[in-house]
Amino acid sequence: MAGKLSTKFILRKLHQITGIVPLGIFFAVHMFTNAKAMNGPEVFNDAVADIHHLPFLLLIEIFGIFLPLAYHSVYGLFITREARNNISQYGYGRNWLYVFQRVSGIFLFVFLLFHLLHFRWGLFASIGLTGTAVAGNADQAFSIVAGDFQNLAVLAFYVFGVFATAWHLGYGIFLFAVDWGLVIGERAQKATLAICAAVAFGLFAAGTNAAFSFVRPCGLLPQVFCEQPAESVPALRSEEF
Amino acid sequence: MSSKNGTKVRLDAPPDKLRVRIRRREKTDSPQYDEVFEIPYRRNLNVISVLMDIRKNPVTADGKETTPPVWDMNCLEQVCGICTMVINGRVRQSCSALIDDLLVESGGNEIRLEPMSKFPNVRDLKVDRSPMFDHLKKVHAWVELDGYHDLGAGPHTSQSMQAERYAYSRCMTCGCCLEACPQYFEDNYIGPQAIGQVRLFNMHPTGQMDREERLDAMMDDDGIANCGNSQNCVQVCPMNIPLTRAIYETNREVTVHGLFGWLKK
Repeated sequence: MAGKLSTKFILRKLHQITGIVPLGIFFAVHMFTNAKAMNGPEVFNDAVADIHHLPFLLLIEIFGIFLPLAYHSVYGLFITREARNNISQYGYGRNWLYVFQRVSGIFLFVFLLFHLLHFRWGLFASIGLTGTAVAGNADQAFSIVAGDFQNLAVLAFYVFGVFATAWHLGYGIFLFAVDWGLVIGERAQKATLAICAAVAFGLFAAGTNAAFSFVRPCGLLPQVFCEQPAESVPALRSEEF
Repeated sequence: MSSKNGTKVRLDAPPDKLRVRIRRREKTDSPQYDEVFEIPYRRNLNVISVLMDIRKNPVTADGKETTPPVWDMNCLEQVCGICTMVINGRVRQSCSALIDDLLVESGGNEIRLEPMSKFPNVRDLKVDRSPMFDHLKKVHAWVELDGYHDLGAGPHTSQSMQAERYAYSRCMTCGCCLEACPQYFEDNYIGPQAIGQVRLFNMHPTGQMDREERLDAMMDDDGIANCGNSQNCVQVCPMNIPLTRAIYETNREVTVHGLFGWLKK
C-alpha cells in the first residue's frame, strides 16, 4: 500500500535521485571525456565532436542535465538553509561530513554557474577569458580550454571545482544509500563510505589529470599512460623475428 | 577522559573554588543572561550537587544576591532524562556529569551550564520537553488494545529481535538527540527520538498492526526525509540506542512501502 507522500518528502527524494542518476552519471562521463585530452588535441576535439553528433542532444541537455541540475542546486540551497550547524560543539567525523556536503554544495552552485557561462557559452571575454564557447566549436575545443588554462588561477579554480564535485558526489552516493535504506548497519556504512571515498578520489584524480593535460601532454602522468605519437613507435624490423 | 566502568578520574590538584557560569532566564520570553557563582570545591561533586550548593546560598561571584537557579531533576541515576542540560557546550544529563571529569576535560576551574536550546525555555535551566510527547502521539508509539478481555499469549519473537527491541525500549525521552541534531528545530523535523520508537513498535508483533500509520507520519513534511545524516544523535545518546540503525531501517520500510508501494496497485 502506498502511504500519503507529503510534498517535502517527494522533493527530498527527487533531490537525492537527481544527484545520482542524471548528474552523477553525467559527471563521470564528463571526466572520462575530459581525460581524452591526455591523448592530444585531435583526440579531445574528436570527443567533443562525437558529443555534438549524439542524437536528441538538445533533449539530453535539457532533461538530462540542465533541469536536474537547476532543481538539485536550487533545492539544495533550501536544504542548506535548514542546517543549524553545531560543529564547534559536536565535532564528530560524520558531523564534519554533514557540513562539508553543504559547504561544497554552496561552492558548486557558484563554480558550476561560472563553468557554464565560461565554457558552455563563452561569456567571460570581458575578463580576459575565452569569448568562444566550447559547445558548437569542436574543432577549437582543445585550444580554447588550453588557452584559458595557461592562467594558473583558472586552472587551480577548476581543479578545486573538480575536487568539490567529486567529493559532493562520492558522499552523496553514501547519503543516497542510507537515505533509501540500502545500507543500514554500522559496518556496512563504513564499507560503503570507503567505496564512496574511493569513487570520489578516482573521479578527482581523473579530472585533475585531464585538466593538466591541457597544459602538458598526458597531464601529470608519465607518457606511457598515453597514446604515443605515431612517428615515435619504432618500425618493426623483420630480422628480429 | 571520563569516569566509567568502575574507573574514576580524579583531579590531582583540585582548585579551592569552582566557578559555575549559568545561563539564566527569569521567565518565558524574558531575555537570557549569564550569572557566575563560586562554590568551595569538594570531592565527588556532580552538576546536581553543585546546583544544590548554589541554591543554599544564591549569591553570585561578585557578591550580588540573586534568586536560586531553577532546574529539573528526579532519578539522579541517568534513567529518567529530566535533568538534561547543555554542560560545557555538550548536551547530557547533569546527574551523571561529574565535576572532576568536566574539569579534566576543560582544563580550567569553571563549568558552563545552559538549558537545552531546541525546547521552550521555561526558566533558567528548565525546559518544556512536551514536544517529544507530541512526537510520540504523532507516530502512534503504543500498542493498540481493543478491550480488557484475555487475548491469550502473544506471538513468539526471536531472541535477536527481543534484544534489538530492548535497545530501542531504553529511550527515556531526554532530548539529547534532538538538541545535538543540526536538522531539528521547531517543526522542521520530528527527529531521531520518535523514529527510534517507530522502529520499536513496528517490530512488535501486535504493534505492527498500526505500521502504516507510523510510516505515514514518517513521510510527512516533518518526517524522516529531513534527516541530514550528521549522526550526532547516536553519538550523544546516553542510553546508546542505535538511532542511525533505527533511521535507516525505517528508511528502507518507507522506500519499499511509500515510494514503491504504488507498484503493487
